[in-house]
Amino acid sequence: MVTAVTPLSLEKRVRMITLEQVSLRYAKGDPWALREVDLDVTRGEFCFVVGPSGSGKSSLLRLVNLEQQPTQGRVLVAGHDLGELPHRRVHLLRRQIGVVFQDFRLLSGRTVAQNVAYVLQVLGARAHEIRQRVPETLALVGLQDKGRRLPHELSGGEQQRVAIARAMVNKPPILLADEPTGNLDPDTSAEIVAILDRINRAGTTVVMATHDTTIVDQFRKRVVQLHEGRVVRDQAEGGYREVVAQ
Amino acid sequence: MRPGFLLGEVANGLRRNASMVVSVVLVTMVSLFFLGVGLLAQAQVSTAKGYWYDKVQVSIFLCTPDSVDVASCAGGGVTPEQREQVAADLDGLQPLVTEYFYESNDEAYERFREQFRNSPVLDSIPKEAIPESYRVNLSDPSKYEVIRAAFENAPGVESVEDQREVVDKLFTFLGVLSVGALALAVAMVVCAVLLISTTIRLTAWTRRRETAIKRMVGASAFSIRLPFVLETVVATLIGAGLAVGLLWATVRYGITGFLSELLAGDSGLISLVGPRDLWLITPFLVGGALLLAVVTAWLALHRHVRV
Repeated sequence: MVTAVTPLSLEKRVRMITLEQVSLRYAKGDPWALREVDLDVTRGEFCFVVGPSGSGKSSLLRLVNLEQQPTQGRVLVAGHDLGELPHRRVHLLRRQIGVVFQDFRLLSGRTVAQNVAYVLQVLGARAHEIRQRVPETLALVGLQDKGRRLPHELSGGEQQRVAIARAMVNKPPILLADEPTGNLDPDTSAEIVAILDRINRAGTTVVMATHDTTIVDQFRKRVVQLHEGRVVRDQAEGGYREVVAQ
Repeated sequence: MRPGFLLGEVANGLRRNASMVVSVVLVTMVSLFFLGVGLLAQAQVSTAKGYWYDKVQVSIFLCTPDSVDVASCAGGGVTPEQREQVAADLDGLQPLVTEYFYESNDEAYERFREQFRNSPVLDSIPKEAIPESYRVNLSDPSKYEVIRAAFENAPGVESVEDQREVVDKLFTFLGVLSVGALALAVAMVVCAVLLISTTIRLTAWTRRRETAIKRMVGASAFSIRLPFVLETVVATLIGAGLAVGLLWATVRYGITGFLSELLAGDSGLISLVGPRDLWLITPFLVGGALLLAVVTAWLALHRHVRV
């Protein structure tokens, strides 16, 4: 039997993501995707959200990224109660959050540099700013020499790096990664998580949903384990399958 | 979003959806063309009515030697006394009769020859068969019945005709043309609205990844929707421009050129719409089309594009 624990004292730390008694179901009569979840992620933390498929990992990230409103409970991101955030201000909060997906979601007709620059163009950045920040961000993920390549000319790992660069080019304080290593081999997965770790060390709060046992065991970060929508473990520097006594 | 990037997005979207853009352009063009034709036909009716009603007259045709089957012409051709009596009676009907003039047999025949100069029957009509007449202007053209009652069956009078009846047939034709064109325009506008809505839906589907990325990185709803709306506006403007061009060609070469020359010889009783009338309705045509396009696109985006 697994037991939920609260490993960290949060009193004096800045909360970036807070879920208070959050429950979610997508339609009336459907099973609960999340049940009475309480969670705090503080600034600069790296947190794995683990669990089998259908345990609620992606649903939790969707709530944080305002893709979904909870059926019950409150979600707070960077101090904003998402339930009370006016619709017209939602986009401003999304600028504080970078997102990476398992399937990369790159624009196939644009080069690596154009994919990364697209974010800044959409947000109205000036040309000189784009010229400066795109190479910087590509260097951050080790793709400084591949800016002119098209996505289909890259390996899966490289494509995921482009996706990370795109998520980070606007320097958001929070990065959500939904199974970012799901399509990658173990070595490449480790490289990707190492990049996320580096980004985290630079001050970005990272929440990564995964069911990659090796990665979780290798990096020894905070682990929040979900089972049938409930948090069943919250452990600092945990492994994938550890059971922690209360 | 900076203007350069926005324009690039719009140009890219137009290029990627060329076939849909062409269909919006064509439907807009056809619907605005028919709307323009309807409005111009209405303008034609209102301008011509005033002009022609001032000019048309009541004609009192006097008996010819051939009018023996009419009771009032039993004695054959009109006599000078009968002619003078009609004139005296017309004088007595002032102020309803504002003016009248006499058209002799010679003048009437000359006008007949001019009107039917290309007709093969011209030579078979003898001069005597063309009646002399009084042309009467009324202060109130609707009181034609007063004149008819006074002169029909009067000695020496073969018939009394209100020329307005002839003109009214033309107005009725123009009215039907106008209503028909407007009805067609309404149907085409409905087509345009549905087509724009479908185009937005398809465009949104083909660009769902870009839209998802924009949403994800925090683009505002307005900036996500703006390129779609601008593409619709560009297509609508091109369609409107083509429609105005087509209407101008129709007015310039069809009406001002061909039709007015055709009718110029017909007693000068003509006042046709011209390019000026078209320029008067152009802002309403283009403005209305733009408004419709923006509203339709915006509503379709609300429905089909999640922001």
